[in-house]
Amino acid sequence: MTDYAFMNQCLFEGKHEEVKKMTEEALAAGHPVQEVLEDGLIAGMRVVGEDFKHNRIFVPEVLLAARAMKAGMAILHPLLTENKDATPSEVIVMGTVKGDLHDIGKNLVGMMAEGAGFKIIDLGTNTSAAEFIAAVKEHNASILGMSALLTTTMIYMKTVVDAVKEAGLSSVKICIGGAPTGHKFAEEIGADGYAADAASAVELFKRLISEKTNASQ
Amino acid sequence: MRPNLQLLETSLIERIVDEALTVLEKTGVDLEGDEAIKRLLDAGLPVDATEKKIRFPRKLVEEAIQSSPSCVSLFNRDGDLHAQLQGESVHFVPASSALRVMDRTTSEIRDPTSKDLVEFAKVCDGLKNISYLATAFTPQDVPQDMADAWRLYLILAHSKKPVVSGAFTSYGVERMARIMAYFRKDREDLIQKPLALFTCCPNTPLRWGEDPLHNIIDCADWGIPIEIVPVLLLGMISPATTIGALVLHTAEVLSGLAIAQAIRPGTPVVFGGAPATFHMRLMTNPMTAVEALQIYCSYGQIARHLKLPSQAYMGLSDSKRNDAQAGAETGIGMFLAALSGINSVSGPGMLDYVNCFSLEKLVFDDELAAHALRFIRPVTVKDDLPTQELIAELIQERHLLTSEHTLQYWPEELYLPGPLIDRTNWDQWELAGSKMPRDQALEIIDEQLDNHEVEPLEPALHHEIQDLFRKTCKVKDVILPEFS
Repeated sequence: MTDYAFMNQCLFEGKHEEVKKMTEEALAAGHPVQEVLEDGLIAGMRVVGEDFKHNRIFVPEVLLAARAMKAGMAILHPLLTENKDATPSEVIVMGTVKGDLHDIGKNLVGMMAEGAGFKIIDLGTNTSAAEFIAAVKEHNASILGMSALLTTTMIYMKTVVDAVKEAGLSSVKICIGGAPTGHKFAEEIGADGYAADAASAVELFKRLISEKTNASQ
Repeated sequence: MRPNLQLLETSLIERIVDEALTVLEKTGVDLEGDEAIKRLLDAGLPVDATEKKIRFPRKLVEEAIQSSPSCVSLFNRDGDLHAQLQGESVHFVPASSALRVMDRTTSEIRDPTSKDLVEFAKVCDGLKNISYLATAFTPQDVPQDMADAWRLYLILAHSKKPVVSGAFTSYGVERMARIMAYFRKDREDLIQKPLALFTCCPNTPLRWGEDPLHNIIDCADWGIPIEIVPVLLLGMISPATTIGALVLHTAEVLSGLAIAQAIRPGTPVVFGGAPATFHMRLMTNPMTAVEALQIYCSYGQIARHLKLPSQAYMGLSDSKRNDAQAGAETGIGMFLAALSGINSVSGPGMLDYVNCFSLEKLVFDDELAAHALRFIRPVTVKDDLPTQELIAELIQERHLLTSEHTLQYWPEELYLPGPLIDRTNWDQWELAGSKMPRDQALEIIDEQLDNHEVEPLEPALHHEIQDLFRKTCKVKDVILPEFS
């Protein structure tokens, strides 16, 4: 019998090796992949999210939990993509835009999103529109995330948005972030959303995915 | 190493003290009040009763400094040790007798009531960085001849922490001491475990009026620690220059200290002060003027040199509102006080030359106090020297957010301020309702008032103390105000 409450606790405490082991054991015991994902991993991360929101834990603890989540997801991911009944992880392609080498914020978003169960394809820094588009196509990404720290490079975000539309990738949602950007700028360039920090970026990703799912039903 | 601000060379401190002793010996100090003067004569002080003046022999003052404790301990309502004013320890405490309050609901400046003082006590008791309380303002809904003791009673009824206070009349200390004695086994127990620190102010220059002189004598009799607080106005009732002002200030403090030691050797005395400049056009007395700050920091050094605890009004603002000036003056003063090792830093909550108390300011100042206290924490090696290994980890992992080193040290190293110090970015701030400092302060106040609990006094004790007020108040059949 898998003790999901204990698994949630281990995840909360960032014990990635234990979480990985418990994920394997749960599958070996015959529990469905979707159940292990929902009750073992996502339920634990939900508590992490709540506690972070209420200042009970802070960024390092969230990232440790995210690492534990990632360890569990590494086991589940191949099975999720094989299993037609299971929901595969949503893919986010992200990168810092062309001309910009700043990646601290983008990396933080990646780590937190990974912890929330997303699969991250990180294109690094100085990413061109063509590279973004190629990655979105290759990984069938649900979200394209762009970051910029400079007012001189943020304008490239519009180039990417236009290029994505031109490429006919209408289903991918485009999110932006970075100090000089904002909601208004996101609207101006035709992006689907903006987030002020890593935690709200994850909220934004979840919201966009949920809207997309609802629209397709 | 604890960061330490020093304005004076040791040799200069010695010259200032030497000159102050000369002033006390040659010029002397004027005294008022025949009864008090008699008491000083009985205690063996060389008072010239005709001239009503005392010229202190140098040796007498030096011996008084020796007999004055280098540590003043304050105990709470239950008799437990709460704070020790000594060395470079720093405590923040509201000031003690504002005439007005800023209404927290309307921001109107008005007369304080007993209910205001109870609210203050409840909020202040729960603030983490305000070490002990003060009778912050004077309720106007009681006869003023008992207001000093009434505010002490209200504070003691709603907080267990020690209190900084003082008497308004020559007979005020006695009644206040009797109230404090209710919280001790007997008078001797109160002497051993003081519950309050009382402010006594000389009348600058070099005069002890009848009320403060009586107060010093009564405090010494009851073992109540005394903070001697000269109020120099630079350029008006003090030399305009720093050294001259320090000599006068030191002489006045030491005169009060010598009197207290003559009455009861070992009486705890704190080297305090509330120096200000005299504004040569407005005729006001800025306590947060740059030159006043220099005096505060300097006499803190002199106090330490003499191995005496220190007090200073450095956690306040002369502004009329909780504005940029209020934040800047209070923050600057608190940091300088902390760096100077002032043991009891008075002022949080105070505006307008200590005339107006604001609860909102108090909760904001609590946050400033946290910053100042964090800043003076000694910088020490914490598994970060040698550093190569940590840097290698940083380069490999690209961040140290989940490093064992970070996990171990960040909670104690990286102070996270409360909501009054806004660390959100614009969008986070907007999303959280675009709250201004006042909104945040009011939320904290409401939180404290709703949830902070202090063990209440027994009804019988309330009755006994209130009976004391009815019997001793000069107003016949006084009706005591409701306050809860």
